[in-house]
Amino acid sequence: MTRDWWKHMILIIGAIIVIAPFYMMVSYSFKSPGEIDRGEGGFFGRQELMVDERCVKLRDPNRDEIAAAAPNYPGQSDNEIREAIIAEAEADCSMRPVVFNYSKAFTEAPLIRYLMNGVIVTASIFLIQIVVALPAAYALAKLKFWGREAVFGLVLFCLLIPVHAIALPLYIMLAKIGLTNTYAALVVPWTISVFGIFLMRQFFMTVPDDLIDTARMDGMSEMAIVWRVMLPTAIPALLAFAIFSVVAHWNDYFWPRIVVTGNRDLFTPPLGLREFKGDGDGSFFGPMMATATVIVTPLIVAFLLAQRRFIEGITLSGMK
Amino acid sequence: MAVVEAPLAAAARTTDAEVQQVRTAWWLTAPALGLMFLILLVPVMVACVLSFTDYSLGNPGFNWVGVDNYDKLFNRSTYEKMFIATFTYVVTVVPISVALGLGAALLINSVGRLGDLYKTIYFLPVMATLLAMAIAWEFMLHPSIGMVNRGLEMTCGTVLEVIPFIANGCADRFPLWLGDRDYAIWVVCFIGIWQGFGFNMVLYLAGLTAVHRELYHAAEMDGAKSGWDRFWLVTWPALGPTTVFVVTISCIRAFQVFDTIEAFWPQGGGPNKSAYVMMFAIFEKGIQQNLIGIGSAITMLFLVFVMFLTLIQRWLVERKVHYG
Repeated sequence: MTRDWWKHMILIIGAIIVIAPFYMMVSYSFKSPGEIDRGEGGFFGRQELMVDERCVKLRDPNRDEIAAAAPNYPGQSDNEIREAIIAEAEADCSMRPVVFNYSKAFTEAPLIRYLMNGVIVTASIFLIQIVVALPAAYALAKLKFWGREAVFGLVLFCLLIPVHAIALPLYIMLAKIGLTNTYAALVVPWTISVFGIFLMRQFFMTVPDDLIDTARMDGMSEMAIVWRVMLPTAIPALLAFAIFSVVAHWNDYFWPRIVVTGNRDLFTPPLGLREFKGDGDGSFFGPMMATATVIVTPLIVAFLLAQRRFIEGITLSGMK
Repeated sequence: MAVVEAPLAAAARTTDAEVQQVRTAWWLTAPALGLMFLILLVPVMVACVLSFTDYSLGNPGFNWVGVDNYDKLFNRSTYEKMFIATFTYVVTVVPISVALGLGAALLINSVGRLGDLYKTIYFLPVMATLLAMAIAWEFMLHPSIGMVNRGLEMTCGTVLEVIPFIANGCADRFPLWLGDRDYAIWVVCFIGIWQGFGFNMVLYLAGLTAVHRELYHAAEMDGAKSGWDRFWLVTWPALGPTTVFVVTISCIRAFQVFDTIEAFWPQGGGPNKSAYVMMFAIFEKGIQQNLIGIGSAITMLFLVFVMFLTLIQRWLVERKVHYG
């Protein structure tokens, strides 16, 4: 241990640099604008009550409202009534910075909707990828047919093409058939995972033929074999692939940025955050970092809970 | 007669079954094949064709312009900047993130159980939404209220001021980072390394578990006394296949850098276009400015680079960079 102190030194310095932006993101999501500006308040900020100026401004009474409220304040001038109402509004609008930041994150933009979109898109991508890739992988691994080598060769060739690289022609094709700004546009380019086919094929190669022969003897159709025999044997590989796929598409920014323009109903979480940044003035650092924290948290928590599986899934692409 | 017939019938049955199997096989692969053509191969061909035209979305037709688009790519200063930015990024990020990944893996492997904690921490950036982290970094690097410059200011008046960089910063001001064309691309590189080295680390950790312990003993017998000698004699060659893979995948990922650039500079690709990388150029020219011909030409070049890299990798793997 004492001999290793320098290793720990290096590793700890590395860890500090790696964690710094996470620390800052979460810390800012707790702090008031003033604390962020002045760089004070430690990690959690002082959590002093703060007044939400916008909220107060919204409740600034006009002449009619003052007239309507007059009976409640007998014997006071309009100005006094106005001040009383504003004081009341200020009392109602004051809250702890952490509450302010997170409530703003969810109310300024439809963050829940964005998160739902993220879930819908990543889930549909994964399901379709599996529905398309599993039968193909099974055929390539276990069925003998003329052209099998050619098909597999094509799979190997397609592994060379990153979907992000061909985003422009894909976008043109989708625009031509009028599919931009739809869920379909977000999902379609990812429905074919050549990598998934390759991976599942490699896995199926290790499944003993006897298992399949027995199933055939029992009169199962090939389709049934894929879903009722092969699928259950492939659960570990599938889980790893699921993690790989979900992480990639939850975090993807490039493709949604291209096919979703303006229609907020279709925004995925990264697009929502981007929009927040676009129209945010300086005082909105807190809510923005709260949004960022909300978006990053699900995967980080899942990762911390099931580290082994995640690391397996992400490094899957390292399999030969 | 009957004796001869039986095997024949059996043969007929098997051919029937085989025909059946071929048919099912095609049915099972058909959706995947169809999508592969539509989503991967057709777009490549479309990009190839359009790169020789002046097409724009919304126009009824287009003109063939020959190699004009490619000509522009190689002769205009904007695109020269694009190539410089892209290659600077790739050439910086790939070696450093691979080296850091390997270094971290070796250190973690040698410190025992505590190593798992570091592994978890170093892997966090791989999981996190890059766009969110880019925004976090942007705040860290904010010239006046960012943590980085605040931290640097605290070193003023201490012994650290002997470092010229710090001395200059204290005398005048510390860099604007993202707003400074001398720093912008390096900041982006730094974030690329920050995000990617944990991924390389876990690949190397997986590679290290496959190195046989006896090899180290054998190396020691042969006179490799220092850890350094043993590393070059045993570990490095045994990690050959891992390294080939890690370098290729890092290159491909580095070529695709986009999120950080777009988050920092939604317009124009950085101060003086110093961070105008290829993916951003495709996005800006092809999608935003609707100059599809030139965007397609960049796409084609991009594909050539990526395919070239992957083919080199496959060639290296086939030659068996495997001594362990």
